[in-house]
Amino acid sequence: MKILVVDDEPQIRKLLKTGLGGYGYEVIIAANGQEALIFAAQQAPQLIILDISLGTPPDGIEVCRNLREWTKVPIIMLSVRNEDKAKVTALDAGADDYLTKPFSLEELRARIQAVLRRIAVEPSATAKAEVVVGDLRIELANHRVFVQGEEVHLTPKEFELLRLLATHSGRILTHAAILNQVWGSEYSGMDHYVRVFVNQLRKKLRENPARNIRYILNEPGVGYRFIDVEES
Amino acid sequence: MPQKSPPVRQYLVVISLVMLITIGLLILRDILTLANFALIYLLVVLLIAVRAGIGPSLLAAVICFLSFNFFLIKPYYTWRVSDGRELLDLMVFLLVAFLVGQLASDARQQAENARQRANEKEILHRLASTFNQLSTREGVYEALQKVLSEELHTRHVHILPYASVVVPTDQTVCYLVLGEGEKIYGTLCAAFDEAPDEIQLSLLNTSAIQARVALERIDLTEKLSRSQTIEEADRLKTALLHAVSHDLRTPITIIKTSAASLMSMRHQLEAEQQNEMLTVIENEADQLDRMVGNLLDMSRLQAGALYSHLDLNSLEEVVGDVAARMYQLHKAERIAIEFPDNMPLVKFDYGLMLQAVTNLVENALRYEPAQSKIEINTTIDREQKAVSVAVMNHGRNILPEVVEHIFEPFYHGPGGNIGLGLAITKGIIEAHQGRISVQDTPGGGATFTFTLPLSDDESVGMIV
Repeated sequence: MKILVVDDEPQIRKLLKTGLGGYGYEVIIAANGQEALIFAAQQAPQLIILDISLGTPPDGIEVCRNLREWTKVPIIMLSVRNEDKAKVTALDAGADDYLTKPFSLEELRARIQAVLRRIAVEPSATAKAEVVVGDLRIELANHRVFVQGEEVHLTPKEFELLRLLATHSGRILTHAAILNQVWGSEYSGMDHYVRVFVNQLRKKLRENPARNIRYILNEPGVGYRFIDVEES
Repeated sequence: MPQKSPPVRQYLVVISLVMLITIGLLILRDILTLANFALIYLLVVLLIAVRAGIGPSLLAAVICFLSFNFFLIKPYYTWRVSDGRELLDLMVFLLVAFLVGQLASDARQQAENARQRANEKEILHRLASTFNQLSTREGVYEALQKVLSEELHTRHVHILPYASVVVPTDQTVCYLVLGEGEKIYGTLCAAFDEAPDEIQLSLLNTSAIQARVALERIDLTEKLSRSQTIEEADRLKTALLHAVSHDLRTPITIIKTSAASLMSMRHQLEAEQQNEMLTVIENEADQLDRMVGNLLDMSRLQAGALYSHLDLNSLEEVVGDVAARMYQLHKAERIAIEFPDNMPLVKFDYGLMLQAVTNLVENALRYEPAQSKIEINTTIDREQKAVSVAVMNHGRNILPEVVEHIFEPFYHGPGGNIGLGLAITKGIIEAHQGRISVQDTPGGGATFTFTLPLSDDESVGMIV
């Protein structure tokens, strides 16, 4: 498995090369956007880890856009706090996931594995009949939801929202993407609809954050992520 | 107002008035006595003295005396006086007329002066009270222009060098420097249609002095507030340096020492000890990250760069995020959360609010007895259009002398680390037009309550 790491910080490059190498990945490193594009074309990595701010142009988002013009290789962006807008832009530009610095290598490995797994199962994912996670069971085919074996009644919109999130488990869905798919493009910009519905849905699913029982996770400033079904 | 009619006209009026009276008396010459004539003439002189002052009254006295002698004392139409007693009457009349004129015009002058002084005082008082309330230079200039044009009837008033002036040649212009010594604020340029009299000039002078005093006061206030700001910034900088050198150094030292020991003694250490050291490194790095995050938030708040991220958000989400993280950290349920149904969305910056609530919760948990839970209660006040979140812990009350300083940046409470958390929380809440306060929890402990305004567009909370 070959991974391309793009970061302008030599220390981070070194750390990721050693760390990911320790997990058995073959790591190629690029120090800027131009190198990244060249290596991506020449060496055909199976995954790219790309820092959002690369110091010199082109920045991470531009590189991501450029890559998406010709390859579907999974891209995980690296960002720092307070880069919400850039995160959304990167996801819109085709990035698969992001991780906020500082992170542990363990977290990064989990993300890498999740992204690769999704790619592997993608073709059959639509055929799934039900999603089970913790006390929650969602029967996708006949629109029924159970919590601790008890049926929960959802409105059509609520079910629609839950289905969208659950069938993309482990993946970030931006507010805009959720609005567009559940409500339609004419609702663009009404992000607060999503928040209110997610709130209601959480109550019905009996989430209890104080005991870390959660199915829908917040991605502040970006959107929501349904808990990774395979991992939990 | 002082009499404005020119003296020549005034004297002509006096002469014609005496002539008129004399003609009247001439007609009544055979009916009235000498005493009547004298008294009527005296009355005329008195009136003129009161109305027009000493000059016209003296003239009137002389003309009256002459007319009296020529027309009204026998033999008529001669300057001779046949009767010695009548001559005495005439002389006494002249003397009395002079005296009356003198006294009356003195009284008139005094009344006039008093009126002037009162007027002047009134203007000065208004000037002073207006200038005292002003806090900008432009305000002082405007007020000065207004007063001069209203009270002194100037044609126009300019403050140089803030205006360029072209003065028509038919006007009298006075220039006064606003300022003293080395500090000159500007030059007052007042144009009058006619040459201003002494009173106007003195008022003009006083106005200029008052304006200068006001300008000096504004200058001083500005200097003071500027030096206070600098002092405040200096104080913060010192505290920041202190905090950076102390509180940030601690985790760095721990990380450095642990990593170095691991490197040099890896082979002597047991796996468990190695793990312990690695955990310490990770925890301290997290701590470092939180501190840096807080410092960044602090500088963001102080720079006022917040409004780009304001959005309708759910407080329940924020509290949920914090609670879940605390569960992961403590591996136990330490928080009891209470939210009303139909909780409306509130406008805030998600990242900052997350930081604010995290700081409050971490602070509350630090003092919470191990076996109990802190409580987070949220209430909606629809009348006040606000929501309140109370973060409540149990145990000991906060000491009153600590409460006083608890929200100050870099204040170290007993057991706390870098004194930024609560100050940042307060900063974040206030940046969102909210309020935060601390009370004792009934039965012991501290309750931090913050209140945020509900947005006017409340319907968004009510979509079904």
